[in-house]
Amino acid sequence: MSFVARRGNTLVLAICVLIALPVVTRNAVWTDSAALLGIYALLALSVGLSYGQAGILTLSQAAFASLGAYAAAICTVRWGWPPLADLPVALLLPALIAFPVARLVARLSPLATALSTLAIGSIIAIAIRSADDFTGGYMGIAGVPSIGFVKAPASYAWLIWAMVVIVVFLYENLCHSAYGRALNVLRFDQARAAADGVNPPMLVSAAFAISSSIAGVSGWLYAHYISFVSPESLDAHLSISALLMAVVGGAEFILGPILGTLLLDGLTRLLPAAELQGVYYGIALIVILLVARRGIFGLIEGGLAQVRQLRRSRSGEVTALEIEASRP
Amino acid sequence: MSGGLVAKGMEVSFGGVRALRGVDIVVSPGAVMGLIGRNGSGKSTLFNCITGFVRPSGGRVSVDGKDITGMRPHQVVAKGVGRTFQTPRLEARTSVLTAVTCGLYASVRSSLVGALFGSPWAMREERLLRERAEAEMERLGLANLRHVEVGKLSLGLLRLVEVARCLVSGARFVMLDEPAAGLTSVEKDKLAAEVRAVAARGLGVLLVEHNIDMVRQLCRSVAVLETGNVLCQGTPDEVLRNDDVIRSYLGALGDIEDAAGGWQ
Repeated sequence: MSFVARRGNTLVLAICVLIALPVVTRNAVWTDSAALLGIYALLALSVGLSYGQAGILTLSQAAFASLGAYAAAICTVRWGWPPLADLPVALLLPALIAFPVARLVARLSPLATALSTLAIGSIIAIAIRSADDFTGGYMGIAGVPSIGFVKAPASYAWLIWAMVVIVVFLYENLCHSAYGRALNVLRFDQARAAADGVNPPMLVSAAFAISSSIAGVSGWLYAHYISFVSPESLDAHLSISALLMAVVGGAEFILGPILGTLLLDGLTRLLPAAELQGVYYGIALIVILLVARRGIFGLIEGGLAQVRQLRRSRSGEVTALEIEASRP
Repeated sequence: MSGGLVAKGMEVSFGGVRALRGVDIVVSPGAVMGLIGRNGSGKSTLFNCITGFVRPSGGRVSVDGKDITGMRPHQVVAKGVGRTFQTPRLEARTSVLTAVTCGLYASVRSSLVGALFGSPWAMREERLLRERAEAEMERLGLANLRHVEVGKLSLGLLRLVEVARCLVSGARFVMLDEPAAGLTSVEKDKLAAEVRAVAARGLGVLLVEHNIDMVRQLCRSVAVLETGNVLCQGTPDEVLRNDDVIRSYLGALGDIEDAAGGWQ
């Protein structure tokens, strides 16, 4: 496969961003929405990697994001680090917590694992709230500085979406590697993966750690963009929203979570009543579960496969069975 | 007793049930070893025990003199013992080439981080993996199925893909779990020919099989399991003439004549 073919998703996304952002950033409200959408898209992408690839239905991504956000706030505000120096902390801290936790719970049934992630998310949230002197407790931390040259909302929108493109690039690389293939096998059959030489709990935990790092980056961007973090900024509701966004778009598809974010969060921003968000999300979930279990991308892929099949049967192309018959 | 895949005195208990009670079996390079027995005789348990899927409560497994007892499945693969699955659960849309390439996981050297960043080294290795998978498919006559989705394959071809996937890992010993179950006679013949070719390459094969014809065709030596013990061992013809085996396998003494006739 050529360089371009292996990075189709990255290219599509990069082109969409390059076309859409210059238009969107002409309007101040839209610019703000675009920046926040990008942050949620990163969160949904982290769910895509964790749930869609590694099979861990995660309800802790907002907590990992808040770790990233607090890492940014504490490093810059309390310790006076220059912005950007806090990025490695925001990346590594969530991963260092996610990896051992996943090592412990990855053996459990999928439902039990999901509940464990919910518990971990709650523990992180409680810890942040309780450590008053360090995290500011309920008051949170204000005055998180901007990231150097990036000050205007429009530059933030560009930075955030550049980050989304970078993450998709890395994610796509992973999917096309032996590790991505192994994750795919794992989701269907752990024993089959083990017989390929995969250490299932190890690989799943590594994927979960990477996914939590992505969540950490989204929190890092959030803290610097909003310049304020509190326990309410990135709460458990957001974990559930991110999961919904990923599932609606198609968790196993690289761009699925981003499409889900645009549809769910993007459209709610356009709708008149913000209170209707819950109703809207609920309807979207029910429709998706009834019509397209694999999300919108799954629906599209299924449709394309049918068209291809139809065309093949019309043109009389060789089928697998005929190939088999012609085997030496 | 160092050459080959050697399992000695294997014991396994599930709760109070002793599934294996001290089984010895040797798979030599270049030979096909058969393992037969009724359902529940311990075939699968022995198979899973050697491949690390079941932890033995006693006994030793070694590969060319190196102890692999109690290793986890992925470690056993790394030691050169591969296995196939009867009905692998695969994503139906995976292409045959991808499925076979999955078997190369154990030989991947680039790190997860390297794969993430698409480092030149990781990309070169990725190309190499693809080439190795294609070479193995060529040898097994699967080359023109490269882009076919595994969900569209017949059971016979799916088993061959399993064999290819196991072989690319560089396995020196191949454990086949009832490869002929559910195949048509044409498919069985094709599979038998491939298994023979595999052994001819110098690999040791352990064939767990219900299909007596297949075992007779392929195996130089056969072990018969019965309630967790090796009932007898020898060439297929010796074993199938053994009264104990006939009694175990067919249950009734009165049927010996018919059965023996059927086997000839």
